[in-house]
Amino acid sequence: MKKRLGIISLFVILFIAFITIWNYSYQIGLEEAYIPIEDTSNVYAIPSESGVFKRSEHAMDYENMPVDKNHQRSLTTYYKNRAYHGAPPSIPHVVDEQQNMGGQSCLKCHENGGFTEKYQAYAPVTPHPELVNCKQCHVEQNTQTLFKSGNYAHVMAPEVGVNNALLGSPPMIPHQIQLRENCLSCHAGPSAPKEIRVSHPERVNCRQCHVPSTKEMTRVGTFKRAGHEE
Amino acid sequence: MQNSLTNRRNFLKKMAAAAAMTAAASMFPGIIFASEQDANLPKGGNLDWKKGPCRFCGVGCGILVGVDQGKAVAVKGDPNCEVNKGLLCVKGYHQIMCTQAKDRLTHALVKKNGRYVQTPLNEALDIVANKMKETIEKHGKDSVAMYTSGQSTIPEGYVASKLMKGAIGTNNLDCNARLCMASAVAGFLTTFGADEPMGCYEDIEYADYFITWGNNMAEMHPVLFSRMLEQKNRRGAKIIDFATRTTRSSTASNKSILFEPQTDLAVANAICYEIINNGWVNKSFVENHVNFSKGLTNMGYGVEDKYKFNDKPTKIDYEAYKKFLEDYTPEKVAKYSKVSVKDIKYLAAIYGDPNKKVVSYWCMGMNQHTRGTWMNNLVYNIHLLTGKISQPGNGPFSLTGQPSACGTAREVGTFTHKLPKGVVMNEKHRRLAAKIWKVPYENIPAKPTYHATEMFRAVDRGDIKFIWTQVTNPLVSLPKTSRYRPGMQKDSCFVVVSDVFPTPTSDVADVILPASWHIEKSGLYGNSERRTQHWDKMVEGPGETTPDAWMTIEIAKRMGYGDLFPYSEENHVEEIYKEYTQFHEGSKHGMAPLEVLKKESGVIWPYVEGKSTQWRFNAKYDPACSNDKDFHFYGKPDGKAVIWQRPYEPAAESPDAEYPFWLNTGRVIEHWHTGSMTRRIPVLHKAMPEAYVEFHPDDAKKLGVRNGEKIKVSSRRGSCILPASINERGLPTRGQVFVPFFDENMLINDVTLDAFCPISKEPDYKKCAVKVEKA
Repeated sequence: MKKRLGIISLFVILFIAFITIWNYSYQIGLEEAYIPIEDTSNVYAIPSESGVFKRSEHAMDYENMPVDKNHQRSLTTYYKNRAYHGAPPSIPHVVDEQQNMGGQSCLKCHENGGFTEKYQAYAPVTPHPELVNCKQCHVEQNTQTLFKSGNYAHVMAPEVGVNNALLGSPPMIPHQIQLRENCLSCHAGPSAPKEIRVSHPERVNCRQCHVPSTKEMTRVGTFKRAGHEE
Repeated sequence: MQNSLTNRRNFLKKMAAAAAMTAAASMFPGIIFASEQDANLPKGGNLDWKKGPCRFCGVGCGILVGVDQGKAVAVKGDPNCEVNKGLLCVKGYHQIMCTQAKDRLTHALVKKNGRYVQTPLNEALDIVANKMKETIEKHGKDSVAMYTSGQSTIPEGYVASKLMKGAIGTNNLDCNARLCMASAVAGFLTTFGADEPMGCYEDIEYADYFITWGNNMAEMHPVLFSRMLEQKNRRGAKIIDFATRTTRSSTASNKSILFEPQTDLAVANAICYEIINNGWVNKSFVENHVNFSKGLTNMGYGVEDKYKFNDKPTKIDYEAYKKFLEDYTPEKVAKYSKVSVKDIKYLAAIYGDPNKKVVSYWCMGMNQHTRGTWMNNLVYNIHLLTGKISQPGNGPFSLTGQPSACGTAREVGTFTHKLPKGVVMNEKHRRLAAKIWKVPYENIPAKPTYHATEMFRAVDRGDIKFIWTQVTNPLVSLPKTSRYRPGMQKDSCFVVVSDVFPTPTSDVADVILPASWHIEKSGLYGNSERRTQHWDKMVEGPGETTPDAWMTIEIAKRMGYGDLFPYSEENHVEEIYKEYTQFHEGSKHGMAPLEVLKKESGVIWPYVEGKSTQWRFNAKYDPACSNDKDFHFYGKPDGKAVIWQRPYEPAAESPDAEYPFWLNTGRVIEHWHTGSMTRRIPVLHKAMPEAYVEFHPDDAKKLGVRNGEKIKVSSRRGSCILPASINERGLPTRGQVFVPFFDENMLINDVTLDAFCPISKEPDYKKCAVKVEKA
């Protein structure tokens, strides 16, 4: 009996040892397999310079154009046409030529804008006419019903009039500008939403006074002097 | 009844105002701009708008600062200022925000046992004065030095010069403008014998072509660039960008031409060759107003301590000059400049067309160049050969980077060889200075001592035992800081730093003096177009902050020179300016009196009989011309400007197998200089939080570098780690990387080379050899 007890307790000890060692090496293995993802979120992307001056040749026309008060877009209708601010707008009208690349059809109205009798509105101007496969990102809205409803969280869209740092100082750019580097296409001309239509399109070097604010890039910290604790 | 009458009257008034405004706006678009900014201000806000110049670059925009209950709360462009006509840039609009930074230096700090102890200003000034006196007694006058700035106001520069050269009697005074404007000065003096541009910004309204030489004006001189864009849009004026890097300016230009670093020398000569070869020379202008000269060549690069060089000019004739240019045919130059023959001929044809008005603009690209003086000479050659100079819309125009590089550094003369009028080597100039300063003539030494780079070498060697820096941050802005930082940390030298914010320079100081910022003191600046600008103190500074000029005066008094500095604390700016203007009396450099400066948003000198001289050397506009000809280059004894024979020579250090890339450094629109002010402005920091290293996409691909990846840039002198930036803000040519220098946490000047132009002693920050690897 004693002998059996001895053997059992030996096995119990061996079993416990096995569990401990296995558990230990399993944990070690986990740690080794874990490759920490480098925190790149504080890398700040400097906005591209492409397109900064692209529509500047029309600046004087914009400047001299009278405002057509009866056919203005507003910021509300501008946002209404997008899933969230910065999302590609959907096509709010019927598209006749379904098989074309946009270069042949969409750009006819959306490259330089102009008044459209049919819709009683000015065609918005695209900030990136070089990308001609329009329907890659912009799609029609062929129904107003949903497949299934859901709870899509809405981010607050940038507002007008609250983006300046000092009284009367030029407002910062409150939105991302990737694919929208060309300021004048949305901020000048008769199709620009009236709230964001710039009063001085002839200035053309927009980023001389307006720089991006990083409202949407919270990771940019305050400047810390090297080797100095705050 | 009464009601309707006033309404009608109001209506008429408004109509008249609107009509006047529209008329004005069509002439000066900026005006409507400022009024519109006004309209956006909250109603009922009772802001008091005070006039002054902008604190930042050398353009010298007029600003109006909105003051509410003793606090500066808003900035707008001054619509009455002819420079900017109501427009500013993002830095200008937000400048006042830096004063509120949490780490503002508000009290004097004295280093005791390795720690900075807050000390009453009077005691700190005693310590500085005693140390200075003691050092002079023990080691002689030339063991103390002062290093000031192109951001010093005119009175600040003036009292520094008077203290060092007049009272103490040493030429150990130089300034950071040596790092940015010295080549421009040497260029003006060698070609014309008189410093500063002959034209003015109004040239922009008349020119058909703007040719920018290595100059990204859209970011560095944005307000002037906007004026150029306006002319481009309204009248079809053309902008040609000639550079080593594709930038925002290149995008906006009609044509961008890229060249291999350092070959601008050859291209400029090739343009002259073409002008002569095609018979585009303005013969009567050249015969009447031009001499030809050559100087020494193979001058070296000044990389060794105590390097000395004196040019020996020799007169040559037109034929010899023509012969020299045969080495610079477009075909020969195209081979190493990487500029096509077609583009060289295109540039020459613009300059050569007698019916087109051309302005050339340049700044650091040509000045921070080991052959910077030559490069300045060469562009003048082009304008002199074609006679396109000193006329509205025609002329070479050297831009400046600091708000008073012209007004203080160059006109007051805070360089080792300079006096408020003339140079220390000239007995007549020394006698004039001694007379106005009321010091014995023997006090002012006749030999220049240290230029900026050599001054910090002397600190490192232990020759200078006391140095006082004001309004500048050399341990970020000097080249090769990897040598000069340990140099300044040595115990052999007592370091005094006057500044508004802590910087890497104040980190090595023994005493830190708290300076007033811009609008917290009165002062005068002078911008690139010879415009003198005055402002009155607008707000109180915090703590014991004091104007730099007054701290210099306090030190002078403590050292026993009180008689020479009899100014009052409240009014010293005006008293000093009145004394200073005696130096420049006469039609060649007469300066506007204070009463006029207080009224106007800056006035251009020479100011003769109540009128500014906008185009110097042209008899039509300049009353100082006295040779009865259409032009008179009165800076030279015979009234003739000089065309210089200057060859192409390679850079001090070029890429090789071990260090295969060119390193180019510079600025971005959001930050100004070493960023000590602009980085403390939230809007600007958020838009550009840190420095980066720019790659050409082909180079990035070859090295497998991704955007944002940490890259180590190293040279024979030091290294620096920065995130990569591929085709974002700028696009360097293949084989070149670009780094902005504003970031004190990524000190690219640890990597740069302290080679300089032997004539001007200005270092080259644009060219040295580096290697790049993933960090």
